[in-house]
Amino acid sequence: MKLVIGKGSCGIAAGALKIESALKNLLADTACELGIAGCIGMCFLEPIVDIYEHGILLRRLVRVSESDCEAIAQAVKTEDLSLLDRLTVSEEDNSFLEKQTRIALRNCGLIDPENIDAYIAFDGYKALKKVLAKTAEEVIEEIKISGLAGRGGAGFPTWFKWNAARQSAGNEKYLICNADEGDPGAFMDRAVIESDPHALLEGMLIAAYAIGAKEAFVYVRAEYPLAIIRLQKAIRDAEEKGFLGENILGSSFSCHVRIKAGAGAFVCGEETALIESLEGKRGMPRLKPPFPAQKGYEDKPSNINNVETFANVAWIINHGGAAFAAMGTEHSKGTKVFALTGKIKRGGLVEIPMGLTLREVIYDIGGGIRDNKKFKAVQLGGPSGGCIPEELLDTVIDYKALSATGAIMGSGGMVVMDENTCMVNMARFFLDFTTKESCGKCVHCRIGTRRMFEILTRITNGEGQEGDIELLEDLCEGIRGGALCGLGQTAPNPVLTTIRYFRDEYVAHIKEKKCPADECVALRSFAVNKDKCIGCGLCAKKCPVHAITGERKQPHTIDPEKCIKCGVCFTVCPVKAVTKNGGEYNG
Amino acid sequence: MAEKVNLSIDGKPCIAEKGQTILSVAAQNGIDIPTLCFMKEYAPYGACGVCVVEAENMPKLLRACSATVSEGMVIHTDSEKVRKVRNIAFELIMSDHDADCLGPCRINCPAHTDCQKYIRQIGEGDFAGAVSTIREKIPLPASIGRVCPHPCETACRRQKVEEPISIAFLKAFAADEIYKKGTKVIPEKAENSGKTVGIIGGGPAGLTAAYYLSLSGHAVTVYDKMPHMGGMLRYGIPEYRLPKAVLDREIEEIENLGVTLVNNFTIGKDATVAQLRAKHDCILIANGAWKSSALRCKGEDLDGVFGGIDFLRAVALGEKPAIGKKTAVVGGGNTAMDACRTAVRLGAEEVSIIYRRTRAEMPAEDIEIKEAEEEGVVFRYLTNPAEILGENGKVTGVKLQVMQLGEPDEKGRRAPVPVEGEFVTLDLDSVIIAVGQKNDPAGFEDLPLTNRGTIAADDKTGLTALDGVFAVGDATNKGASIAIQAIAEAGRTAKAIDAYLCGYEWNYKEPVLSARKESSLDFSDREKMSRAVMPHRSADERKHDFKEVNLGFTPEQAMAEAKRCLECGCHDYGHCRLIHYADKFDIDCKKLDGEYHPCFTEERLVVIERNQNKCILCNNCVRACAATGKELLGLVGRGFTTVIRPECRDETIIAQCTDCLLCAHACPTGALRVLKK
Repeated sequence: MKLVIGKGSCGIAAGALKIESALKNLLADTACELGIAGCIGMCFLEPIVDIYEHGILLRRLVRVSESDCEAIAQAVKTEDLSLLDRLTVSEEDNSFLEKQTRIALRNCGLIDPENIDAYIAFDGYKALKKVLAKTAEEVIEEIKISGLAGRGGAGFPTWFKWNAARQSAGNEKYLICNADEGDPGAFMDRAVIESDPHALLEGMLIAAYAIGAKEAFVYVRAEYPLAIIRLQKAIRDAEEKGFLGENILGSSFSCHVRIKAGAGAFVCGEETALIESLEGKRGMPRLKPPFPAQKGYEDKPSNINNVETFANVAWIINHGGAAFAAMGTEHSKGTKVFALTGKIKRGGLVEIPMGLTLREVIYDIGGGIRDNKKFKAVQLGGPSGGCIPEELLDTVIDYKALSATGAIMGSGGMVVMDENTCMVNMARFFLDFTTKESCGKCVHCRIGTRRMFEILTRITNGEGQEGDIELLEDLCEGIRGGALCGLGQTAPNPVLTTIRYFRDEYVAHIKEKKCPADECVALRSFAVNKDKCIGCGLCAKKCPVHAITGERKQPHTIDPEKCIKCGVCFTVCPVKAVTKNGGEYNG
Repeated sequence: MAEKVNLSIDGKPCIAEKGQTILSVAAQNGIDIPTLCFMKEYAPYGACGVCVVEAENMPKLLRACSATVSEGMVIHTDSEKVRKVRNIAFELIMSDHDADCLGPCRINCPAHTDCQKYIRQIGEGDFAGAVSTIREKIPLPASIGRVCPHPCETACRRQKVEEPISIAFLKAFAADEIYKKGTKVIPEKAENSGKTVGIIGGGPAGLTAAYYLSLSGHAVTVYDKMPHMGGMLRYGIPEYRLPKAVLDREIEEIENLGVTLVNNFTIGKDATVAQLRAKHDCILIANGAWKSSALRCKGEDLDGVFGGIDFLRAVALGEKPAIGKKTAVVGGGNTAMDACRTAVRLGAEEVSIIYRRTRAEMPAEDIEIKEAEEEGVVFRYLTNPAEILGENGKVTGVKLQVMQLGEPDEKGRRAPVPVEGEFVTLDLDSVIIAVGQKNDPAGFEDLPLTNRGTIAADDKTGLTALDGVFAVGDATNKGASIAIQAIAEAGRTAKAIDAYLCGYEWNYKEPVLSARKESSLDFSDREKMSRAVMPHRSADERKHDFKEVNLGFTPEQAMAEAKRCLECGCHDYGHCRLIHYADKFDIDCKKLDGEYHPCFTEERLVVIERNQNKCILCNNCVRACAATGKELLGLVGRGFTTVIRPECRDETIIAQCTDCLLCAHACPTGALRVLKK
């Protein structure tokens, strides 16, 4: 038997290291092997321990705690796995995986990311061998057939970029992997690198071969230390095995891969800012054209793709472009990985074929909204994306269809929001993010996002003015058309989509000074109904800022100047004498 | 030969070389595309985003500084989409530009006189230069410097430190100084245009228009009903405030330009408006407001009741109005002060001011009130004449209604309300009513009037409903105001008249300006220096004669006073590309009002002063410096808080600066200023 512990960042955060050391101790004298894997995507069930025999998964234990280890050891020793029924993943939770089609994530959570042989055993580097027997044009043609598009967000055809870089004059060309994953709530790239680093490397090598690059970089954010460690090891192992370096697998093709850790600027996910940063300069976007395919790193032709894009490449070569293209819709082929988060029952990493509806992902895979609350909106594409309301939940996942809603496919962040989410505040959250992450170069983004943030802030503070919505729309249009790079051009999206689908919430904030979702603290108000108050003094006792006063057995009053609107009085009043927002009683 | 490319920009067919940018092709074809961060010496940078243009069949706007032309391109540089994106860029820049284009003094002067410049020139001892600066807007500096209620000083920022600069007196000083020396500072006249202009009224407005029109080469004749020119400056302002010799000196300068001055000429008697119009290529009416407003109370027709300006005019004409020993002046404005102080000088023993509000509401200048008090005038606040009492048709006193202050009106001024049944009686020999003045429309019947009874004229150009007939000053629109207002209107109308005569188009537009927010002002680091006190004669001495009260600044006093100026206006106004385009595109600087980027400090890099609040982060200075191989400057911080600074603010880096000044020359705004070594 072999116990495999999920040791992605999510598993480690949930306690995988403690479980690993506990199991090591308990099973030291047995023949049971201990192994590690990356992330299977079911982050809501971490820590996860898989029990294998002869390569077959016998049991998947979930939400394992240190105290469960004893029982696990005993079950392994007695070979009575029924002892672990209570830890075994439920059928319902397991359905999380059933609707998925895993290509980019094909090995994630299944193999040991720190062992190259494990990757090789799963057809690893087979595609590279295949490619070395082909011409670069043939490789590009295969990718063209597959319909693979850039998974970083823009969805630009991958073959086209490769071809452009290949066609560019010059012998010195560079391949760059963009692993500067920065959208709040997105962790697709991290999971791939942590769980299957060789899949990335193999995809990169194939791309390098296709464009004619002898040098490649992985630009990965420094906030992903585990990914960096595993990738470093993967590079060393691949070099040792001859998959990487000079004369790869005896061919004339040579390629070296280096890692560059980014210093945490979101804008460095923008390809030209990334190149500037790679060159050691301040991370700020360049004017396009020239595009990186003509003038990229050190002004040499360069091709940049995202982690997930590369992770698909070996599979496409192994199975043929047509097999990939067979999945998906007319305009979007293959699969897409999403990081499903927010007010969802089952959050984690999912890979689905293009063409599924949002409803299928959220309800069938994600299990619907947590705490049986009402769905309100789903945010796609992070700060560059938009939110999609309930009435559009049957939109299929496809670049074109999603763009038509005002949102974008994006890199894969999918944040689900329930009825308690204020959409104005949500837009404000994203603008807060963009204004902080704006590099400061162009006027539209540097000052424009700041002004949008200020307007949204005043609206959520109940200081919105007549005409603010129109002013925001005006700004959005100007910024979208004038910002230098994608960060600024797409920064208005969260604002535009919330205005488009939730305009009434904006109006309520501005005109009635009310937050329909009751999230904006400044717009809450509490008062004591003098006729109902029995003067028990409980509210006054619980009030953290002593804003409530009154004689015993006499009606109490709340000083609105002192009140911090925490709502404790509202919750504790035994006779429901405290009203909220001018009328609503508790219960 | 490079490959040729055909394209069109704003409908104009252009031939360009392949690889050229849209910006350079446009420039070659005389089409101005705005840009702030582009410098032809360096690679395009793309930060400012104001050079966006629309190319047909392309979904995204292009940055003209970097996008290259291609065959068949159809470019629009001013489409609706372009305007939207470009104007937002300017609105955003202006919203984060905590800077004054012009000082508050210049903005608040109705004539927009460049106070900061002439104050600086006085500070440098260049008095002739100062006068020539003043004369760009005011041809009568010595007179106006003495009498102007100086809205410039009211707005002066120096008050935030201690007291405003003595701007008006500095103006008078500079003019006195050059008159004393006999220096001539009159600009050269333009060639004779062959056109003639008739001006009705030789007051500040008429004389101002005469001056500028004469300089423009037109033959000007000024017609005035009084025996001498000067209008209200002569007949409404007492000698002790404005000696007529000073005024004469200034009128003489205007006459020396070749202006024909015709006195004792009354419209309706000596000629009609139509006759004058027929005689000249165009005429300007600037006949002023010479009728005293009535009080509308019983007894106003008694012997011994004088109108305020009628009284002052009589004195100016050398008459001795019979005001007796006890007189009272009704009113609280500057004319009331002039009247009561004149009455003192005529020998009245008891002179009172009757004013229905309190001192705080009094519109007269503080210094006038103070000097009147010093001269023994009694101020009877919160009183209002109910009836002028008389016997045998002659004034014997006044019955005063006692008042109190009621609710403030919409301007915040508290309205006086009678205290029911409370009256006091004052024994008097005469009453002078100085509660306002209005124009007399007699002789101007052909012209449409406003509902105030003033002549209706365009408030920008002064053009009336009649072709070739312009009108400005107290006789028009809102009625009587201060001299500098009339001068401002006359200056503008002189341009409109020149345009009319020469047949070119001219429209007055208030310029788009950047102005600092009051909340961002902090002068706590300035050393306090008191305002210069104007030397003057003592009350006991001055109240017996009409000699000038003020004695004038000495050059040392004036220069020291001038040096107190904070120089609020931007030294780069005039060649700032940012404000040039903001004005061209009529940008609303306040539309996107918000917080400023948090840096107002002025940092010095050897001989360069960097005003972070004016910096728009175009990066021109950084690139200019980098081109020298030094790379002393860089962007520091991120996003909204980014600033340009010497890298790491390291002293050793700063020490490498060789004063090449390339950075300062590259700056499109006034953020970098070269200091004198």
